[in-house]
Amino acid sequence: MHHNILEIKQLKTYFFTRSGVVKAVDSVNFGIRRGESLCLVGESGCGKTATALSILRLIDSPPGKIIDGEIRYHDEDLLRCSGKRLRQIRGHGIAMIFQDPQSSLNPVFTVGDQIAEQIRMHLKLKRRPTMERTLHLMEQVGIPRARERMKDYPHQFSGGMRQRIMIAAALSCGPEILIADEPTTALDTTIKEQILDIFRDLKQQREMSILFITHDLGTVAGIADRIVVMYGGRIAEVGTVYDIFDQPKHPYTHGLIDCLPDISARSDRLTSIPGMIPSLIDPPDGCIFSPRCPRSMMVCRQKRPKEVIVSKEHLVACHLYS
Amino acid sequence: MKRGGLQGYIIKRLIYAALIAFGVVTITFILLRLGPTSPADKYLANMSARTQDPAQVVAAVEARYGLDKPLYQQYGNYLINLARGDWGWSFSTSMPVIKLIQTHWVYSFQLILLSMLFAASLGLLIGVCSAIKQYTRIDYLATFFSFIGISIPNFWLGIMLILVFSVQLGWFKTYYDTGLPMFSLANLKALILPVITLGTGMMAGYTRYARSATLDNMGKDFVRTARAKGLPERVVIGKHVFRNAILPIITIIMFSLSGIVFGGAYLTEIIFGIPGLGRISFNAIFASDYPVVVTITLIGTLVVLLTNLATDIVYTWLDPRIRYD
Repeated sequence: MHHNILEIKQLKTYFFTRSGVVKAVDSVNFGIRRGESLCLVGESGCGKTATALSILRLIDSPPGKIIDGEIRYHDEDLLRCSGKRLRQIRGHGIAMIFQDPQSSLNPVFTVGDQIAEQIRMHLKLKRRPTMERTLHLMEQVGIPRARERMKDYPHQFSGGMRQRIMIAAALSCGPEILIADEPTTALDTTIKEQILDIFRDLKQQREMSILFITHDLGTVAGIADRIVVMYGGRIAEVGTVYDIFDQPKHPYTHGLIDCLPDISARSDRLTSIPGMIPSLIDPPDGCIFSPRCPRSMMVCRQKRPKEVIVSKEHLVACHLYS
Repeated sequence: MKRGGLQGYIIKRLIYAALIAFGVVTITFILLRLGPTSPADKYLANMSARTQDPAQVVAAVEARYGLDKPLYQQYGNYLINLARGDWGWSFSTSMPVIKLIQTHWVYSFQLILLSMLFAASLGLLIGVCSAIKQYTRIDYLATFFSFIGISIPNFWLGIMLILVFSVQLGWFKTYYDTGLPMFSLANLKALILPVITLGTGMMAGYTRYARSATLDNMGKDFVRTARAKGLPERVVIGKHVFRNAILPIITIIMFSLSGIVFGGAYLTEIIFGIPGLGRISFNAIFASDYPVVVTITLIGTLVVLLTNLATDIVYTWLDPRIRYD
């Protein structure tokens, strides 16, 4: 059995809005293993980001609230540890980068300072070594003329360079786990590849686990060891990258893979999954995918499917297999 | 960062400032001289020279100060003298205007400076606290009192403060004591009521702006980044939020300066009998002592313009995105 360094159990994160309770994360379970890169995949609004933010308790509250569950990191439950302990883990044990590097960096501080501040804070280094480390990190993520550019401000960098800065800051204290929430979504395709390369290098060089969140299955193929497919705040399918791409079980996963454009098919139209993303305020009874599911059965509309073990690494939550 | 364009920008702004000051002097001068009374009339009253033919006295006085010349000529002379550093003669107090200002400016200066410090520091503090504790009792209280503070006219507040704290409780004098040494606790105490009078409205306004600017920035993505780094809330708010929130607040503070210099300070000085420029100017208006009025208006204008320019320069340090070129 593989050892999970982070274990998410029965996580429920709800948002209390004017129009009702949004069950953004509804009883989600999965684990992250040492040194693996795990991709969390799903459409917009399926609860990927809410899951990621819940791990470090970064959900904006109000309106969001983690209702229940457990997030086990080593021997601690992050949902129940003290604020002080949580701050020691944030940025040090588990670091996070976000979708939009433009707004995620503070415009009025130099990038050097924004990388250095957590080094000072967690590693308690003096001025000189902090600066050296910052410089080294910036060189590592491929920022040219790093020594001069440390003193520059975020607006003086391009989008791709800003995301490199974010990565450098996240790596600064040598985290065990890096959570990357759609880190390439806001970037051009060419820049996106460069950033993905950094992630691939990181995986090889460091014994670091990566939780990579994306809606783009194409990105996933190039980076993931294992994949968690989410739909409507719940987990649809979990498996290795081969399980998911070669033998997808869940009709939703099928749908996602069918949506990938196939150049050899030379079709005029792009495929899509019919129907709309369900409202998470008042989800249908039973399987949340059933209204859009081409293989929906009677039971799908009545009972919520349990997770079924397909093979050693492969789990699916679908009545077709129970 | 490149600051090459800053010098050119400052020069440009100084030219604008000179043009605005010129405009203010011109308008003030003409408006005052359009009035029906001649400064000489008041002069006459002051001299109690009723034994002579009043018309003759007026003519003599007017001739002495050049008031008999056409307006454009008087205006031209005034400007030339101003450029030479001669700020005119005060008819009502019989001394050079410059002398008058030299003795009185410091009273206005201390009042305005202390009021701004009081309003800015308390306003920021309450505003930020209010934002951090949004929708709690602290926030509601701060909001409630800041609306009261904004709504109270300061002349009324001043009179009420005198009534309660000076007349009823006897804690303060009803009048500002000019005999106190400038840098003494007694002087500071004497300024408490005036500073509250002038500062409360400003403070309430700053509180509102500080609250909304803080809330604006608390929702920003970089705040989430800062939290994800494991920074303590003290640093998240005190560094990342505050440093961004302060930018619009500084603009607001500078923007309110003209209202303070030309409005609030005048009234406060009059209520408490502080012999500052506002009060001098106020008296001069009633005495048709136009050189005093024009000069004090000019000084106020310059103070506002130069402070604004100074703020713009400070901005290039506070906000690295701003460049003037």
